[in-house]
Order: sequence, then structure tokens, then C-alpha cells
Amino acid sequence: MHDGEPTTIPLSTEAVRVNLLRLEREWEMVQESRDRDAIYGYLTAVFELVVCWAQEGKAVQRACRALYLRRHNSEREPEPFAAVILCTADRDKVDDRMRSKWSRVLRYAAEFKDLDEPLRDFIKRKGGINKCAARFARRLGRGRQRRDN
Amino acid sequence: MKILMDKILREIADQAYYASRLRRNGVQPTRDRVFAEVLAELEGNGDAMRFVNAEGRVAWKATPRLRDYLKDLELEAEEDLEDEF
Repeated sequence: MHDGEPTTIPLSTEAVRVNLLRLEREWEMVQESRDRDAIYGYLTAVFELVVCWAQEGKAVQRACRALYLRRHNSEREPEPFAAVILCTADRDKVDDRMRSKWSRVLRYAAEFKDLDEPLRDFIKRKGGINKCAARFARRLGRGRQRRDN
Repeated sequence: MKILMDKILREIADQAYYASRLRRNGVQPTRDRVFAEVLAELEGNGDAMRFVNAEGRVAWKATPRLRDYLKDLELEAEEDLEDEF
């Protein structure tokens, strides 16, 4: 994912908070649903928020603000998708491994999905969440680094 | 910068712009400036959100919350109209 055009409309702290609340509601809807595909609603909301931040060239900075608002300490530069998931999904239900996997899936989609294709369709077309996470590792993650060396 | 937004937000922003012109306090803010202020306020209230459109540009749309609210208003107005006849 590349950072793009800067925006002239600043994002207020209240707006960050409201966005996080909206995603928390999406997460609650996933929890209340019996539909196996409900998770795609939440992942789509996370994806759209972070992709927009990135397009404005401020994904990492805003992820830091989100973490600060939710009182999460981050010594390293946060990965924006993982940070937003950490801030909005129940930590008892989404552990570090799950969060990392979803983050890889979303980074893979940010790199390869067409803008007009729904995230759910893209992930399913690519074999599902686990396959997309593996594809990320091969194409963009450690697997690629190993091959390059 | 051209601010892209959906029909609902365009209507709200246009109204705010015309209202600002009617104030006639000697200061005439530009359309984009009024739009930017309105969108920032709506975003902070949870009524507007940014998104990346199909052309890869940042645009604005009403949140599901605002859409639901307006839909409810519309239904209520229709019911009131039916009651009158």
C-alpha cells in the first residue's frame, strides 16, 4: 500500500474516536451474527478506513493516534491494519496471531485488489482468509525476502 | 482541491454554503472552505466518512447512521402524509 495525496481536511481527534466506535459496532455485529461471512463486514470496514488514511499519506500517524486514544502503548511503528483491529475488536476473541493474520490479508488486498471489487469477493476469489494470509507471506512478506536473498 | 461527496452530503454542504453567504458579515468564505468545515464537523459527529472511490481518490459519503436517520425521517413523513388523506 502506498501513501498518496495529502488531504486539506484534517482529521480531528473526535473523528478518530467516532471511526473507532463505528468499527467497534461492526465488530459487535459480527459477534451477534451466526453468518460465517459476517466477519467480512468488519474486515471491510477496517480495510476502507486504513486505505483511506494511507491515501491521505497518514496511515501510520493516525494508527498511532488510534492506539493512543485506546491507551495502547506502541514502542515500534505500528502496522495500521493491526493497530485498528487491536483498537476495535475484542482482545479476548482476537489474539495476536489472529490479528496478525487479518492484517496480512488486508495488506495483501490493499496491494492487489481492484478498487471496485468488494473485499469479500476478492478474499473468496483468492481462496479465503487463510490462503490470502499465506499469499501475502509469499508475495510481500518474509517468504519473498527469503527468495530475494 | 475538488471535494468529492455523495448526494446527501452535497445537499448539506450546499445548504451550509448558501447560509454562509446570507450572513453578509463582510467575509465571504470560499465554497471549498465551507465544505471542508462542514465535512469535518459531520465527520466528528459520526455522520460523514472518508473513503477511497473507484478512481482511487479520497471522497466523502454519509455514514450508515446518517442514512438510517434520514430513511426514518422519510418514512415518518410518508406515514404523516397518508394519515392526512
